Parts: sequence; C-alpha cells; structure tokens
Amino acid sequence: MLAYILRRLVISIFVLFLATILVFLLVAESGDPLALLRANPKIPHRVILARENLLHLNDPLYERYWIWFSHAIHGDFGNTVAGQAVRPQLVSHLLVTLRMVILATLISIVLALAVGVYAALRQGKVADHVATVTNFLFLAAPVFVVGLLLKEFVAIPINEHLNRIVFYTNGEQSPTLSGSFFSRLPDYAAHTALPTITLILVSYSSWAIYQRASILETLDSDHVRLARSKGISPRRVLMRHVFRNALIPVTTVIALDFAAILGGALITEIVFGWQGLGIWFLNGVNGLDINITLAYLLVTATFVILFNLLADIIYAFLDPRIRYD
Amino acid sequence: MRPSRRLVGVVAAIGLAAITLAACSSNNSSSSSTTSSGGSTTGSVRTGGTLTMGLDENLAGFNINTSAASEYVLQEILDQVWPQPFIVNAALKPVLNTQLITSATSGGSPQAVTYVINPKAVWQDGTPITADDFIYNWQAQSGNSTYTDIGGATYDAASSSGYNQIATVTGSNPTGGAACDPGSAADRNVGLCPNGRTVTVKYTTPFADWQSLFGNLVPAHIARTVGWNTGFAGPAQTISGSWYEIQSYTANQSVVLVRNPSYWGTPGKLDKIVFQFFSDDTQEVPALQNNEVQLINPATVNTAITQSAAQVPNTTKVTVPGLEFEHLDFNEADPYLAKLPVRQAIAYGTNRQEIISHTVGEVASGIVPLGNRMFVASQPQYVNDGSQYDTVNPSKAESLLSGLGFKKASDGYFQPNYGPQSGQDLTFTIQSTSGNSTRAQTEQLFQAQMKAIGIKINIQNYDANTFFGTNLPNGTYQIAEFAWVSTPFPSGNQSIYCSYTSSSCGQNWLHYANPAEDKLLAAGSSATSASQETTDFNQADKLLWNDMATLPLYQKPQYFAWSNKYGNVIPNASTTGVPWNANLWGLKAS
Repeated sequence: MLAYILRRLVISIFVLFLATILVFLLVAESGDPLALLRANPKIPHRVILARENLLHLNDPLYERYWIWFSHAIHGDFGNTVAGQAVRPQLVSHLLVTLRMVILATLISIVLALAVGVYAALRQGKVADHVATVTNFLFLAAPVFVVGLLLKEFVAIPINEHLNRIVFYTNGEQSPTLSGSFFSRLPDYAAHTALPTITLILVSYSSWAIYQRASILETLDSDHVRLARSKGISPRRVLMRHVFRNALIPVTTVIALDFAAILGGALITEIVFGWQGLGIWFLNGVNGLDINITLAYLLVTATFVILFNLLADIIYAFLDPRIRYD
Repeated sequence: MRPSRRLVGVVAAIGLAAITLAACSSNNSSSSSTTSSGGSTTGSVRTGGTLTMGLDENLAGFNINTSAASEYVLQEILDQVWPQPFIVNAALKPVLNTQLITSATSGGSPQAVTYVINPKAVWQDGTPITADDFIYNWQAQSGNSTYTDIGGATYDAASSSGYNQIATVTGSNPTGGAACDPGSAADRNVGLCPNGRTVTVKYTTPFADWQSLFGNLVPAHIARTVGWNTGFAGPAQTISGSWYEIQSYTANQSVVLVRNPSYWGTPGKLDKIVFQFFSDDTQEVPALQNNEVQLINPATVNTAITQSAAQVPNTTKVTVPGLEFEHLDFNEADPYLAKLPVRQAIAYGTNRQEIISHTVGEVASGIVPLGNRMFVASQPQYVNDGSQYDTVNPSKAESLLSGLGFKKASDGYFQPNYGPQSGQDLTFTIQSTSGNSTRAQTEQLFQAQMKAIGIKINIQNYDANTFFGTNLPNGTYQIAEFAWVSTPFPSGNQSIYCSYTSSSCGQNWLHYANPAEDKLLAAGSSATSASQETTDFNQADKLLWNDMATLPLYQKPQYFAWSNKYGNVIPNASTTGVPWNANLWGLKAS
C-alpha cells in the first residue's frame, strides 16, 4: 500500500509539474498583463518599466518560469500584477472557501447517506419517489438559481418577518464584528448558513443518488442473501454487510467531488459575496495574472491528488480485499 | 481620460484632467432628492448611526495615486479620509474645501497658484498638514527621475499630468509666525520651507485644470517612512486628514470609517460609514432589501437590477447619466475612413436615438444623443455641437457616398471605385469588447442601420485586454465602439484628439490630425480663465464634429439606490462618487 501511495505521489507531482508549465505558457502567451496600463498615456513610462521588471516580463519565458518555480517550491508565489504578494492572498481566499466547503461537505455526506439508504430501503414507495425526484431536482438546478431562490424566498422573507437579520445574503461576516470568538459565532453562522445550504443542496443530491443505487446493488448481492439466510438480524445485515460495501463507490465520488467543489464553489462565492478561491482565480485569469493562476492551480491540483489518495486509502479500509501491493 | 470605467480604475480620481461628461439627470425614482445645483444637503439629519454602502471592486492598496490602486471604489472611500483642496460636487464643479484650504488663487505669468492651508489642519496623528505634503505629492507624481521612493525605487504614479508642468512648490508663513524649516537634503526640499502653511505652486507652462491637482493628498511624513509605492497597505499607514479615519479594513470584505477625532472642522454626522465589497454587483439589490447595506451604486446598470430594486420599499432610486460615454471611433488609417464624406455618411446614417432606445433607454429615460465630447448637458459649458446629426438622414448619407464616385450595386451596397475594395461592397469591421450585451446590441443595430445606407458591417469583438491593450493602441481596427470615462476637467482630451503624429497624443488611436485642433486644445489646456478654457474646448469639439473624428453616442447611466431613512445622500456622477458629501450623511431628523 505504501509503495502504491508513493508511486501515485511521484506520478502526481510529475503531472503537476507538467501542468504548471502548460498553464504558465497558456497564460503568459494569452496577453499582456500591463495592457491597460500601457493604454493610459498618463502613466509615466518609467512606472511601466518598473512594473515590467518586478514581474520579469522582459525575461525569456523559460527564465520567467524558472523564477516562478524556484520560488514556488519554497512557498513564495511571487507578486500579483498589481505588485502585491500572492501567498497571503492565497491563504486568505483558501480559508474562506474551506470554511464554506468543509462544512457543506460534511453535512452533505451525512444527508446523502441518510437519504440514499432511506430511499433504497423503501424502493418503489412514496418516500423513495419523493427522495429521488427531490434529488434530481437539486441535481439539475443551477447553483446560482438555488442561491438566489434561497435569498429571495427564504432569507429575506424570514428577516422581514422577524424584523431583524437572521440570514445574511452577502459576505463572510459583518464589517463591524468584534469580540471573542464565541460572541462572533452567531454572526459567522448567519453569514455561513445560506451559502452552505446552497452547496449542500447541490452536492448531496448526486451523492444520495449514488448511495441509493449502491445500496440497492449490494442488497441484491449474493453475500447479503447468504447473510440473511443465516438468520443475521436485518439491522446487522444492513450495517455490516450492505452499508459498508455500498460506501465504496460513494467514497470515491465524494473524495473526487471535494476537490471539484473546492475549485468550483465559484458561483456560490459570487452569489453570496464570499471572497473565496474561485473568485480570486477568476480575477487572476481576467487580469492575465500568471502568479495567481499558477498558485490556484497548484492548490487545487494538490487537493485533487490528496483526495485521490485519501479515496484509495479509505477504499482499502472499507474493503480488506483491496490491496495495491 | 481612460477607456472604460471601474475595471481600470480612476486616474487619481478628482485629480486628473480628463474629458468632461456628466449628467442630464433622468429620474425614475420613487422619491428623488437629487439636486442639479451641486448642493451638498437636502434636509436636516441627526448625529449618530451607521450607513453601509456596497462597493463592487476589491482594493489593490490605499494609495490611489499609484497606478496599481487607482480605483473608483478606493476614491469613494478616500473622499472622507485624505485631504482634498477641491471637491467635485454633484453638479461636477470643483468647489474649494474651505475647511482645509482657506483660499486658493491662481494667476500671474508664469502661472502661480497659492493655497492657504487652514492653520488648524492636522493629520490624524497630530502632525500638521503643511507645504511639505504638497511638496512631497508633487515630487512623487512629477515623473521626474530625480525624485525616488524609499530604496531608490521609481515612484509609481497613476498620472503625472499637470504635476509635470510644475516648476516649484514652496511653503511660507509657518503657523504662529515660526521660522521656515530649512528642509532636508534627503527629501530634496532644501529651502522650500516645508513647514509653511501657505503653499505656492509655480508652473512652467499654464495648466488650466490646476484645481484637479493635489486631490487625495498623501501624508508626506508617513510616505517617507513606509514608501509611496507599496507602503499604504492598510489603516495603520493610511492616516486621515479629513472627516473620517479608517477604523478597520478586512481584505475583500469591508472598510469601516469612524469620525476622525483629530478633525478640526465640522465633524461628520454618522458615527460610522461602512463600505462592504460585493463580488457581483447584481447581489447588491438583495442586500439592500435585506438591510445589509443602505446605499448601492452598482457598476452594471441593467433591467434586472433596476426592476428588482424597484420592488424594494422605502428606498430612493435615481438614475443619473454618468461621466462615461459610448462612441464610435473611426480609424483614419483606413483608406476609406480617411475620407471625410465616408465618416459623415456613417454619422448621418446612424440612428443614435434608436440605439439608445434599445440599450440604455431600457433602464433610464431621458437619455439623448450626446452632442459634445468635452462637456455634458448638465454642465453649463455644454453645447450641442453635433445637432445636424441628431436626426438620422439616410438620403444625405447616400448622396455623400455617391459624391465620392461610389456606385450602388444590385445588392444594395455601395462599391468604391478605388483602393483595395474597388468594385466590391464597401465593408467595414466594427469591434468592441466581448461579453458586453449592450455593446453587442449597439453593433447589431449599427450594422442594420449601415445596411440601409449601403455599407456592409462585420462585427468582431475581443476580450478587454486585447481590445484596449493591443487593437486600439496599435490601430488594428476600422471602427471601434467603446467608452471614455473622465473627470470634470477637460484638459485630458488633448491626448485623444491632438494630432497622432505627436508623441504626447498617445490616446489618439484614430489617426486624426488637424493643426487647428492642436492649437485649440493647447490653448484650452493652458487657459488661465475658466471661460477661455470652455470657449477653446467647445471650439475644439466643433472642429471634431466638422471633421467627424468620432461619433459620440450617449452617456452611460449610473444607478443609485438608498434607504429613505438617510438624508443628504446626493448622487455624484464624477469619479468622486456618491460619498463626496458623506460627512453630511445622516439619519433623517424626523
């Protein structure tokens, strides 16, 4: 197993390295990040020159890449086009996204497993149909639609009814927030509720559908029939033989989805004004900011690799038959 | 003068000379309180309370005078933080800030401007505001390599316009009759009396828009310590010399202003002014409805925003034509657009009112074709120099093309009798920024209108960086559609319309050249009286209409909405923004 993980790591790092080269070339060749400054004749020429030097824009591409790479492996991701350090921005935006994504993912997992199992055990009944329709509804609904509906038809009416703000529609916290962590907690919760619910609704649905299908498949398997025929209690059959086996495919999906959610929470961030990783990346791409783009790529790619590995490890844990050695 | 609005920031905000555009106010509000006189109050308000305003961009730093941080939203924040000798009011007129400068006079030859600083004026930390601040701000923005930032770095100045025409800045009359400080060699202000409270600015050549300079005065004593370029990263360095100070800044989230306890004049009414950042300005309306913000001025103005805001009760909604105007740029490097009759034919064939009706007319009423490139209708200087093009005239357009010997083919298009399109349909490509539905709609309407007069139009759009950064500066276009954004100071027009053969005319991408225009623009920019400046720039605009250098279309509207609980909120279409009088904002007394 260890050898497998190490092998996977080495390959992943190599892929990551190639990806940085590719992205670097694509972004570097897609335009001049100082184009708008150059278009403004009021900006003295020597200011532009100084910025060019800061960003190494006049160096050959391979040198620019090497400068970036040699610093990046030490945690220094360089400066933005505007001259600010990338690393503090990366950390700040990453923490914002993680706060939303981790909470949403944890709740989504619990919800998906519960709904999936419940629907599977009541296959063909009203509860199953309701759960399935609901799941597909949220699966099909665009994130921004869910977010806007929650704002318009849940948050604002409740707030107006109570004549105070229970749910905030924008931002991660109130601007004037102060005090101890525990005194700030209600404010955090009021800001986090809507974006988290949005992410939960669009994430849990596909996992619940997987979970339902997986449970049904396992229920129909020989070893489960054998367990039943041996007189093992239904509860024990479900938990020990069905649920555990049915978790294997879902685990893979969730592990892979987490990295996707991390990078793809962009729309939720936009709708709720959260300054997360996605918005930061989008602004970086729009501004042809290579250092932002590459830093984002590194982080998301690292998460993808890590969660792939995590999925493999959980795999082995859930199913002792799986051995990679 | 800059292409587009918030994306590229403001060049030193109220400061820099640029084209003047403003506001023929069209109001679709439920209860408008906009004044066209530029007054700063609309009623009595009480002291105390907090107002939160939504902003639609994050900050790239706090020194707005640098190219990196020159943003519209930052100007809105700094309106109340950094000292401004002149404040551009709602009527787009610079008004002396008498609480900071008791008098400012311009005269003499060579031109000299004398500012008398209020002897009580101090920075937040108690350091007096003196000539030293003016000297430092001039040096940093002069574009003169003699002056450098800490560590010998080149000063990053968003603009050196006007500052590069200054010969000297000197102080005199220190407070209480004290002796003049000899100054420091390290600061290169030896003999300039930096502790003086009277500041004399002498120009090498006259600068008509002298009132635009020294806006957003950077505290010299701080800047010399932390550095001009990157030192102003947060509240600790960005100390106040005005009504409010920055209490806190949470990156990408908010800036909180509180009253500056060191302020010497009439204090601000509100206890706090909070600026909250939005990553998507369409989300500002739900936040207004949810009372998370009480004032919004979204960059995007469309029916989705105006219609949803219309549903928010107890708010005032106002649409004001802004300082940004769309226009058609004709590149005279093209062998056909080089011909005046061709440009005139296009102008006569363009139904600007139809374009307005199908674009910005859907969100704001009362917008009419723009008849001036230097001033807008609400400014007293405005003259409609292009009235002959107000009404579309296809027959006139066709006669102009026929007059050139172009023949109309059976497909309805004219065919030139010379050049690369000889014997072919006269075809031009119009380009603009991609992803902008209003511009796309404009192009399609223009395409149909040109077809009606026998000109074939292709549409090709590019991303903003390619369009503004490559195509326009390199002149790789025939007809371009984009916006100019400006301040109330018209001298910035010089670099757009003076002959492209001059290196100082860097924004003349249209290859326009007319020595008579050069003279008028130069005279306007160096006029020593406002009336002469107006006369010169209006004559320059008239000549541009005669030459049909560009075709102005319409002013883009700005949208404001705010809670009726607050008084004295008065929209301002200039780059000063709506917080220009935020010191007077407050909860209504009754």
